[in-house]
Amino acid sequence: MDFHAALGWGLPVGIGLAAIGSGIGLGGIGNGAMQAIGRQPEATGKIQLAMIIIAALAEALTIYAFVTMFLLQGKIG
Amino acid sequence: MGLEFLVRVRKSSLWASLVVALLIARYVRPIDGWAVALGVLWSLANLSLIERLVVALTGPGRRDPAGVRRTLQAAAGMTALFGLGAVLLATLPAQSLLWGFLIPLVVIVLKAASLLLLGSRGWKRFARDPRRVAGLLVILGLAAWAAAPLWVGAQEHGASSPSPGATHAAASSGGEHGENEGPQKFTNFVTLLARAFPDAPWAHFLHEFEVLIFSLLVALLLVVVAWRASRDPRLIPGPFQNAVEYLVETLNDFIVGILGPVHGPRYVPFLGSLFVYILAMNLFGLIPFMDSPTSSLNVTVALALVVFVYSQYIGIRGLGVIGYLDHLAGNPRTAISWGLVPLMLPIHIMGELAKPISLSCRLFGNVFGEDMLLVAFVTLGITSVSFLHSPIGLPLQLPFLFLALLTSTLQALVFTVLSTIYFLLMLPHDDHGHEGEEQHAH
Repeated sequence: MDFHAALGWGLPVGIGLAAIGSGIGLGGIGNGAMQAIGRQPEATGKIQLAMIIIAALAEALTIYAFVTMFLLQGKIG
Repeated sequence: MGLEFLVRVRKSSLWASLVVALLIARYVRPIDGWAVALGVLWSLANLSLIERLVVALTGPGRRDPAGVRRTLQAAAGMTALFGLGAVLLATLPAQSLLWGFLIPLVVIVLKAASLLLLGSRGWKRFARDPRRVAGLLVILGLAAWAAAPLWVGAQEHGASSPSPGATHAAASSGGEHGENEGPQKFTNFVTLLARAFPDAPWAHFLHEFEVLIFSLLVALLLVVVAWRASRDPRLIPGPFQNAVEYLVETLNDFIVGILGPVHGPRYVPFLGSLFVYILAMNLFGLIPFMDSPTSSLNVTVALALVVFVYSQYIGIRGLGVIGYLDHLAGNPRTAISWGLVPLMLPIHIMGELAKPISLSCRLFGNVFGEDMLLVAFVTLGITSVSFLHSPIGLPLQLPFLFLALLTSTLQALVFTVLSTIYFLLMLPHDDHGHEGEEQHAH
């Protein structure tokens, strides 16, 4: 397969795969946080803080794929 | 003027030489930059040896054996330095070395002159009205602005003198290439200036450093806000002071809540200004003809490197060098954990190195992606009504502007929280057994 064609296929598909993984992870994080808040509404602040941190870590994986796409985008030509 | 004057001279000339060496390495030749840096180091070592020699010869106890030894040491150091200087002169470009050698001397002269000027009675009478000082600063800035094109032009001539045509062609083709290849961003005023004056060297200079210009603008804005808010503090605050105090208090409570009341207050100024600075930089791109500095990887990497170096410094200062290495090796106490050290040490080091990479890439990716999203929808809004030939498109980007507000705030918060967590991991705490506590207590 041609290099450009491989990149042209691979970059969008790679971003999509990364987004699927991050989405599953974020869903799990949100699920756990909402349940914890439901059980202990008085700890909402702490739970939200931890949730935001972990969500940022999970979301970063898609961002890495996104940055990689922008780095390689110029080579599709 | 005592010895502390020399200490200040040393500090200022180190900073000045860093900037000058980087600029020269970038614009002239890397080896000239090295030569300037080495020349400054040579000059500083020379100065400090002379200082030591003078202190040893004139200070108290010059007849003691210790004083004689100090004198001999300083003299031997001077001799070794001369030998080293001869080697340097033979290997590196002598002119740059000489310029570097002159920088500390220039700093001394300027500092002494400014001390004399600022201490004089005429200046005190002049500075009684702050508006006059501000006017003088503005005049000096304008003069520098007017002089900068001459200087840059001279430098460009100097740089391109070997083959003027070739460098010009390379520069122009490089510029066009960059504009065509990279993803298009919103036009900011620096780009407009560079387009309006395509031949002026200062416009090129500005265009090259546009990220720095925007981040300095943001910093200037924050400085003005902080100055205005704290200039005239009242017991019953006005709305402006109230807003700033609310922000500072919230940040203080937040960071102290994570780091704990013992270590927390020390790091609030750094982490709080990190948050405010990043938030302002993220939001700056939403202003027309402005650009977010954080949508360039250079800025975010710089921010993350600052956090990285500071957290390592906290670790080394809090735990000691041995304790820090112990921390990196996973606190081996038993035979099994000693056996695991060859495995744990690389893992911990990789983990430390991954932190700044992930911090910078996350911030860059989010802000840049948000910009790209807005650009894509503005383009879509214009092309969707292109049959009308109207210059204004549908405002399709409107919902995403609110998304951009959310992302900007969230990413600034995430950057700050993660830096706080990294600091927390480096601070001495209970999880690492009692030895860390005892070391810290001592």
